[in-house]
Amino acid sequence: MNASAKAGLAIAAVMASCAIYASRAAAQVDPWEFEVYPYATEGRGVLEVEALNSVIANGHSTGFNGTSAGAFASQAMYRSAIELTYGLTDRIEAAAYLTTAQVSGHGFWYSGSKYRLRGRLFDEETLPLELGWYAELEWHHTPQFDDADLELELRPIIEKDYGALALIVNPIFEKSLAGAGRRQGFEFGYVSGAYYRSLRAISPGLEFYGGVGLIDDNAPLHNQQHYIFPVVWGELPHGLEYNVGPGIGLTRGSDHVIMKFNFELEHFIGALFGPSAESNWFF
Amino acid sequence: MFGGFEIKAVDFENHSQFHLRLMTLKFKLFIFAAGASLLAIGALPASAADATYEIRFQDYHFVPQTLAVTAGQPLIIKVANSSNETIEFESFKLNREKAVTPGETAMVHLPALGAGRYDFYDDFHQDIPEGSIVAK
Repeated sequence: MNASAKAGLAIAAVMASCAIYASRAAAQVDPWEFEVYPYATEGRGVLEVEALNSVIANGHSTGFNGTSAGAFASQAMYRSAIELTYGLTDRIEAAAYLTTAQVSGHGFWYSGSKYRLRGRLFDEETLPLELGWYAELEWHHTPQFDDADLELELRPIIEKDYGALALIVNPIFEKSLAGAGRRQGFEFGYVSGAYYRSLRAISPGLEFYGGVGLIDDNAPLHNQQHYIFPVVWGELPHGLEYNVGPGIGLTRGSDHVIMKFNFELEHFIGALFGPSAESNWFF
Repeated sequence: MFGGFEIKAVDFENHSQFHLRLMTLKFKLFIFAAGASLLAIGALPASAADATYEIRFQDYHFVPQTLAVTAGQPLIIKVANSSNETIEFESFKLNREKAVTPGETAMVHLPALGAGRYDFYDDFHQDIPEGSIVAK
């Protein structure tokens, strides 16, 4: 068996592990960020502005159900996050998010903010799988949108390309640091996607989002959230990139139908650091 | 005692405590299996000697505009930016993008390509003609 086949088997094993584990446990889905993170990071000195939007077309009518982790109900909620990402080095990027929501019957709300670092390890093709990392701090507007004030989220990033097909997995480990759940352990979730590169302007993809709740005290499967999103993605004139599609909830605990539409633009604004050395695998 | 071995009964305080420990054990096993898979993969050797090619960006175009490479062999493309502006060397089909500042040379690592034509362009200057990598 060659290295590529081994890598394929391993990524399939990791995806299967996520799925098997998820089927026994609860849910940690970030409804402000229906996005799968690839191995590649923003170019050094490049600023990307991204609008991450979603609307719950068919959700739950009471809070703490579906994608709602707070007192507001998810039904008809429109969420929007503005994300600014800057390429610090050739391998590390930093990002800040401002999240807002239009809540049915309650108007427009500030719902929180997030800050994260993300990186890729080694250069492409050094390992049979492309590996990266992701660390994020999230502040929530409580109790309307979440019952935890501050959370830490950690993700390994795993990607493998097979010609025009890219497979990406982001297992998620999340811990409440302040507010509800601070005395509890990590929660487990996942984000993954399969993308086929057909045309630069429009290509198909399939994304998966879900969560299993606390690692050591999983929710019953019917209370967990699991979604599948068939998406189209690509680049429009003037470099405007998009990723849109409907999300279908797969369990009773999920919202039933979500529409997501993400747009991004990038521009070089100037690098703070010089080029990363070829021999350097982290910075 | 049974056959020289002492059998100790496991005395959990209650069923939920047992369930909690079981789930924790299962999670540890999951993490171990996933980690072991990745470490095993990481231990695999990277590709052998890669063929190296160069593409230069100058006077608002790429030189060469069409780069012929050998199919079936991993390769490295050195992208040299001889212009006064930062470019982003990008290939949609090859899933690569790299910002290259003026005077800098960036390395783009690629797997063995199947025979065919693969696009590349400067994502920061979309009016500049696209180039092609032709694998034969």
